Amino acid sequence: MQARDVGLTQTEYAAICRLMGREPNELELGLFGALWSEHCSYKNSRALLKRLPHEGPYVVAGPGGNAGVVRVSDDWEVAFKIESHNHPSYVEPVQGAATGVGGILRDIIAMGAQPIAVADLLRFGTDSQSVRLRQGVVKGIGQYGNAIGIPTVTGDVAYSETYAQNPLVNVLAVGLRRPEHAMTANTARPGHLLVLVGQRTGRDGIHGASLLASQDFQGSEHDTLRPTVQVGDPFLGKLLMDMTLTAVERGWVAALQDLGAAGLTSAVAELCDSSGVGANLWLDRVPLRQRQLSSYDIMLSETQERMLMAVEPERWPDVRALADHYEILATVIGEVTEGEMIQIWWDSTVQGTVSAHWLVRGCPRRDVSEEWWRALRHRPTEAPPVITTIPSLRALVLDVLAHPDVRDRSFIYQQYDSTIQTRTVWGPDHDVAVLRLHDTRVGLVLSVFGTGQWASLDPYAGAAAAVVLAASRLAALGAEPLGLTDGINAGNPDKEESFRQMASAVAGVQDAAEALRIPVTGGNVSLHNETDGQPIWPTVMIGALGRLDDATKPVPDCVGAQGHTLYLVNPGPLHWGGSVAERVVEGASPYPLGDLGHHQRALEAMTQFVRRGLAQAVRAIGRGGLATALARMLLGAPPSLGMAILLSESTESEKLLRLFNEGPAQWVVAVAPEVVDDAVGYWQAVGIELRYLGEVTQSGRLEVDERVHWTRAELLTAWRQPG
Amino acid sequence: MNIAVVTFPGSNCDDDTVRALHALGASVIRLWYRDRDLGGIDGVILPGGFSYGDYLRGGALAAQAPVMEPLRHAVRERALPVLGICNGFQILTEAKLLPGALRPNRQGTFLSTWQHLRVTRASSLFWGLREGEYLRLPIAHGEGAYYLPPGQLASLFDRGQAWLQYVSFDGQLTAAANPNGSVANLAGVIAGSVAALMPHPERAMDAALGSADGVRLLTAWLEGIRRRSRDASS
Repeated sequence: MQARDVGLTQTEYAAICRLMGREPNELELGLFGALWSEHCSYKNSRALLKRLPHEGPYVVAGPGGNAGVVRVSDDWEVAFKIESHNHPSYVEPVQGAATGVGGILRDIIAMGAQPIAVADLLRFGTDSQSVRLRQGVVKGIGQYGNAIGIPTVTGDVAYSETYAQNPLVNVLAVGLRRPEHAMTANTARPGHLLVLVGQRTGRDGIHGASLLASQDFQGSEHDTLRPTVQVGDPFLGKLLMDMTLTAVERGWVAALQDLGAAGLTSAVAELCDSSGVGANLWLDRVPLRQRQLSSYDIMLSETQERMLMAVEPERWPDVRALADHYEILATVIGEVTEGEMIQIWWDSTVQGTVSAHWLVRGCPRRDVSEEWWRALRHRPTEAPPVITTIPSLRALVLDVLAHPDVRDRSFIYQQYDSTIQTRTVWGPDHDVAVLRLHDTRVGLVLSVFGTGQWASLDPYAGAAAAVVLAASRLAALGAEPLGLTDGINAGNPDKEESFRQMASAVAGVQDAAEALRIPVTGGNVSLHNETDGQPIWPTVMIGALGRLDDATKPVPDCVGAQGHTLYLVNPGPLHWGGSVAERVVEGASPYPLGDLGHHQRALEAMTQFVRRGLAQAVRAIGRGGLATALARMLLGAPPSLGMAILLSESTESEKLLRLFNEGPAQWVVAVAPEVVDDAVGYWQAVGIELRYLGEVTQSGRLEVDERVHWTRAELLTAWRQPG
Repeated sequence: MNIAVVTFPGSNCDDDTVRALHALGASVIRLWYRDRDLGGIDGVILPGGFSYGDYLRGGALAAQAPVMEPLRHAVRERALPVLGICNGFQILTEAKLLPGALRPNRQGTFLSTWQHLRVTRASSLFWGLREGEYLRLPIAHGEGAYYLPPGQLASLFDRGQAWLQYVSFDGQLTAAANPNGSVANLAGVIAGSVAALMPHPERAMDAALGSADGVRLLTAWLEGIRRRSRDASS
């Protein structure tokens, strides 16, 4: 076996020999191949990610663990993180997506948290094969999430040819834990037993991390890579989850690590490295699904539904009895030792010896200069495009509402159980999910958004705007931001342009998160999203988590009564770069990001405005612009209500740009007559523009400038397209 | 009064059900599928979920679980009230404690949504839940199309076993209101002391979560049990 067989370069091989002082044997080389893969080592992205802000008043655990953790109240902490399963979902959509859900759930469980919610962020192509892929992916997500009993409460989907052979399947999970049940992987001590719990190890998913997730695709490989996709079993996943969390609750687990990418190798190495210990591993004791698995196979198998526990020897009988109750396997497969060396045994023979430190931290990583990093902010001009042919406003509103990136997602989310666990105040029919914690009014807001077109020409602007939009939706509810998780998806980092795009996206997240003062507590990077040399648009998926003091009464996102006045808060530039409307009329210009400092002030002001109870309804403007926000505020309202909008712009093209620009940090608010003076005074005082838009009427239709109107049925038919 | 909630491997609505019962002040005993002694209980709920991963067929394996034996016996000997919810409904039909079967949804996919229901027939099992009353409850299932062999539908209605039906938001019994292809829009049936429904009353315990109609339904069931034991002791 050679370096390239496990996905390593000659330079990396030389580095391994230097570290070891000898050449690795085949098994050892395989371990390095897995942990030094892009997927596990972040060798191209770590130097960029470390620049993200990680500190905040609510942060309990930042990046580095299995998931970030933030504090919600004295009684509750929340673990949350996003993870990608892009390549597996392309090769085998149902299983790839299902194991993506299972994988991120075990990350949450490894923090000692009970998973309470899942969100899916998906990107597909526009051809017929992509429709089949989407059906498979949605089925897979539902299959796992529904069966294990975690509600899928929100999501995001968008389409472009760029994703045809590189669909993106990013899944975010949220879990709750009591502070006293906090779990980490860094608390293993010499003398602890290493207990492998769950599924028997099989041959599935070998090389998942090193080959499937860390290399570009050639079209013809599609079939030959299928065996590298793991198969998920939510039934066993549920038993494993319940058993693990019960063991944690009873204080029987000293350290915990899930088995994900690179299987046992990664789990043992992470546990040992973070705890500063070594281990003896007895591979002949690992329960197998089939005979004749080699040490290599056992170490690299990505069989799902397995967890690794470090357990004090006197606790082992309890752990074993608990596993018996749940009828799952728990097996002592090793012991924690002093030092940092992992010794791999088969019976009484040593098969390999490597340092956890080399595996986890030894990989040569790419760094970038400060100058290069700063230069990523040099961006395309934001000069507005000139609209030469003015499209019909009447048709464009309906075309944008019917656009696949804007239209109703119910054909997807109705396949997901969104109400189990009885916390869902707002489910997937809203822009954000609102979850109430049991036995208290305190709740969480989960706001997810990903870029598509926004980042296609200017990844920096698109990434920053995604952060701002996710936060704008928290502000619309007056929620307190707790933290962010980011999923970066990009092309082959060995290509300068793709690397630069990925770095620009990270820079955008950094600048926006810093400006908004929201820490990034963890995330995921998926590179090599290229097939036959064609990279995807750099795509940033953001999950923002906020806290509500009273989650039982979120401020409505639809209008509620005739006579309320509608305003546009913080009107965006007359520029529709990156917008759906621009795509519909077949243009393409860079996204107008604007000033992040100004956006921060607008967000803060909106949060306080809502908390003061001055808004009867609020909706953040996102994909589809103001026109879409208005239509959706009407579609969710009592059928008798209508809107009469009067735009202050003078020319037809300015009116279009007002209605369809997707600039960040804008909201539509509805204000009751008795508080109009207070509302106007408030926005004057904070120095953010509040522009009059119109009134809520009894007409049952949307009217603009007393000239163009749409009936409710027309809007609904456009928005609610099948599939 | 003690109500048991049975957990099968793969049950995932058991905690929600226990929480709902506690909210109504009921005393709850949790049973594990291997238990062969029901203890002194006055009613049993088989909660929703994917018992045994729904492998083979929803509820098929759970219907053979050890706990089903004393349950079947108690239904036969002392008409123990049993309520099946979602997967619990599937288990009860597989166990032949209820007529019919639950087939995969007509559209072939899992369906999670809010659904309006009408009480087709009042029953002493649900005290105070009147015929013609409407409920709004969530459904979440992949195998929820209620099926009866040809010729048995009329007798189901004649015997008063047709309990709940899916209706439109304005209360109409229409084909469009049928979410999954159930025969005659049936969402719930009753046979003797055994009742079951596909919707999830335990998730509709608070208007903040979309509906409190589950309170009405579960309160009626508990009240039915209370009156039954009072009558038995008097």
